[in-house]
Amino acid sequence: MTFDVGFALVVIALATFLMRAIPVIWLQRRLRGQSDEHRVDSIPTWLSVLGPLMIAAMLGVSLVPEPLTLGLSLATLVGALVTLLVWFWRKSLGWPVFAGVVSYAVVMLLL
Amino acid sequence: MSSEQRSEWQAAFWQGARDAIPLFGGYIAVALSFGLVAIQAGFSSFEAILISTFIYAGASQFLFVAMFATGAPLWLIIATTLLINARHIVYGPNLAPYFTPHRAWPWLMHGLTDQVFAMALTQLEQLREAQRLPWFIGLALFAWLSWIAGTALGAIGGSELTKHWPLLAEAMPFALPALFLVLLAPRFNSGRWALVLSGTVVLALIMKVLGYPNAAIPLAAISGAICFQVMHRYQLRKGAEA
Repeated sequence: MTFDVGFALVVIALATFLMRAIPVIWLQRRLRGQSDEHRVDSIPTWLSVLGPLMIAAMLGVSLVPEPLTLGLSLATLVGALVTLLVWFWRKSLGWPVFAGVVSYAVVMLLL
Repeated sequence: MSSEQRSEWQAAFWQGARDAIPLFGGYIAVALSFGLVAIQAGFSSFEAILISTFIYAGASQFLFVAMFATGAPLWLIIATTLLINARHIVYGPNLAPYFTPHRAWPWLMHGLTDQVFAMALTQLEQLREAQRLPWFIGLALFAWLSWIAGTALGAIGGSELTKHWPLLAEAMPFALPALFLVLLAPRFNSGRWALVLSGTVVLALIMKVLGYPNAAIPLAAISGAICFQVMHRYQLRKGAEA
């Protein structure tokens, strides 16, 4: 491993960890001693709203197939619909994801 | 710790490990691609595994090896990679209200990826306090191990694997959008949330299509938050007038 790669790896790993951990330490100190309900209520509204919206944005980005072709777009659409249908039926995590991936693969196979 | 507490701890840990299974499809497929790309960019298998173990952040890892391969300046590689990872700053504070008082939590944040965050945000509130730490350890540990294993697989035998099972390699990444969809579906419980969430999904999708995949997540989420606040204030004002 060259010095440049090693140095960059250490700096990025450390800084990424600190970006993930420091805000938690800060908020844990701020919320110390409060009950579960108060802890949830006392985080700023914009921050509590941002959580689900980050998931929504990740969903939007991950729905675009690579490469962006009609076939893969159709497979994505079918996979998403099947995932949602199975979720309405089972209300669980694993089965809807499994059914979505299988239906996605089936459409790819048929095209 | 009593035997009852220990068995509850173990049950929650394995529940977390089981909840990590839906992540494996996406993680192993993407990590496998990363292993392959890293080798093609001139990194050794060991270096690729080290990057996945310690940086552990999908998009920025790809950028890291690609920028090194093109000979970009060191400061630019570090700055760009950290800029992509900056979205992680808001993840921890969203989860912190559900964390129990324990010194381990900040250390566990190494495992706070996009997908682990999405899973924890929806699941932690449903767990009892005593279950949260072992559940998160199980989830984060198995997700991390699958990412490292996927990288090793890609770096060592990725080209052979994709040659033999091309459909598997192509279909597995769909596990990630499917998982996000399942995590988000219960949030469509009011008109305001449905509107803002749909708008955020569409905006992020458009930005990705236009070629801005890294800016899409923070910008779409911030736009959604602004719309949510505007609608919230409008409703408050309307309520005050009525």
